[in-house]
Amino acid sequence: MMFRPFRRTVQLAFFSLMFAIPVLNMYENYTITGTYYALQVGGLEAADPAAILQAVFASGEFALPILGALLFPLLFALVLGRVWCGWMCPYHLLSDGAFRLRTLFRTKFLGGHETETLAVSSALKANLCRYAFLLVGTAAAGVIGIPVLNFVSAPGILSTEAMLLVRQHSLSVEFGFIAAIFLAELFFFPRFWCRLFCPTGACLALIRAPFTLRVRTTVPNPKTPCCKENACTSACPMGLAPYRQGSNLLCTNCARCIDACRSGKDREILGFTGFSQP
Amino acid sequence: MTRLGHTYRENRLRPPGAVEEERFMALCIRCNRCLEVCPYGSIRRAGWGLTIGTPFVLPETKACYLCMACTGLCPTGALDKRLSDPEAVRMGKAKIDPNICYSHLFFDADVLPEDAGGRIGALCNTCYNVCPLPNKAIMLKNNLLPLVLEGCVGCGICVERCPARPGRAVNVVPAGMGKTDEAGFHFRKAHKHHEEVSARAKADPNKALKGADLLERKQKIDSSGSAAEFDFPYELEDGTEDWE
Repeated sequence: MMFRPFRRTVQLAFFSLMFAIPVLNMYENYTITGTYYALQVGGLEAADPAAILQAVFASGEFALPILGALLFPLLFALVLGRVWCGWMCPYHLLSDGAFRLRTLFRTKFLGGHETETLAVSSALKANLCRYAFLLVGTAAAGVIGIPVLNFVSAPGILSTEAMLLVRQHSLSVEFGFIAAIFLAELFFFPRFWCRLFCPTGACLALIRAPFTLRVRTTVPNPKTPCCKENACTSACPMGLAPYRQGSNLLCTNCARCIDACRSGKDREILGFTGFSQP
Repeated sequence: MTRLGHTYRENRLRPPGAVEEERFMALCIRCNRCLEVCPYGSIRRAGWGLTIGTPFVLPETKACYLCMACTGLCPTGALDKRLSDPEAVRMGKAKIDPNICYSHLFFDADVLPEDAGGRIGALCNTCYNVCPLPNKAIMLKNNLLPLVLEGCVGCGICVERCPARPGRAVNVVPAGMGKTDEAGFHFRKAHKHHEEVSARAKADPNKALKGADLLERKQKIDSSGSAAEFDFPYELEDGTEDWE
């Protein structure tokens, strides 16, 4: 079984959802309201943990209604890991598109290799960069009393723009931010936003337990790639080596490595914990 | 903590149930849920500056009809979730300008335009007729003059419907704008003048300004067009015509 078709279906469903919500709301159906900053589905709150973190720091209030909005995302991430990023986030879909266009262009016209090294290739440095950004942003929110990281929350902005497009047939200036990071990923630094900056992803990665879904290999203590092609590493959009870094904070459980590993092999090596482990 | 981002302006209101402005700016995560559920499209999204993405009601284009759909939906409590009574809303207070209001002009100068400096007086009373809380938020004094009462919630329907142009005869002053420590530019300029003068008198009673000197100093209080020397959270108008 390949994960890819399922993942694309879920991604497209969530991409369509951000247009569907304002349409439903315009017909006064309020079963689902909000944007990807904070959704409400039939009375169930689901807010972006990064946005809530900033609201808590900016207002200095640690109140129950705010934290109530976190309960569902926390439980969700605790069980399934960062699936929001890999499977649902509308910006990740755009990022996938930018990466694909870039690879197509490089291999077709520039005669480049299929794989390329990402900027800040070390997973540790990438994580440091992401958490430094989150820390500075949250501290700034606390100092000036405004949730500043929301100005650069890619899924939230995209969803807001979709809503504005449906309701007012217009876009706002924040669309420029999405366009800027999309073009930067297309031309200069592939995958840089999700890997190096996204505050939502950084928050979600911290929510983990021993039972959280993650990528695991059946090879005991793998030091070197099991296959010559190193298929999983070249498939990973986050620049990880999945055969040994399955539980890295950067991993989004996108399952691309699992798909890549299975192709052309009869024995299952990479897989999700708890799912069809031999 | 210094206030950043927001400057108060007449006819620019937060949605019903909004907490005090500084807290609002901290709590609002700009999810725009209130804007999405507003069945009238009354809630608009700020498009620039640090307030970007936060919700506003601009009663000149579309007032709030107090359906209370938005208050219960706020995920962070920037809008008070428990608020469901339209009469308990405090978005601001309407303020009638008697120099523009047709009813006031009719009362003051009868119906002849030449007596009212070219302006037309008429028995209008539109604000009273459209108010969702008549006789609580607004009354007709002597069955003629509209008068805003304590019950005004600042929904702005009177502003939307006021026929006076180009400036409306009734405008809503947003909640929080009337705080004494952040009051109007001229009030605070005068307050600063008072502090200076009284400090000087206290330091040396002989040097206290009196008579013509004091009058001259007072005449210099007006500084329209010049920047405020103090932290001032309002947008300044170019001239002083609109100020009372």
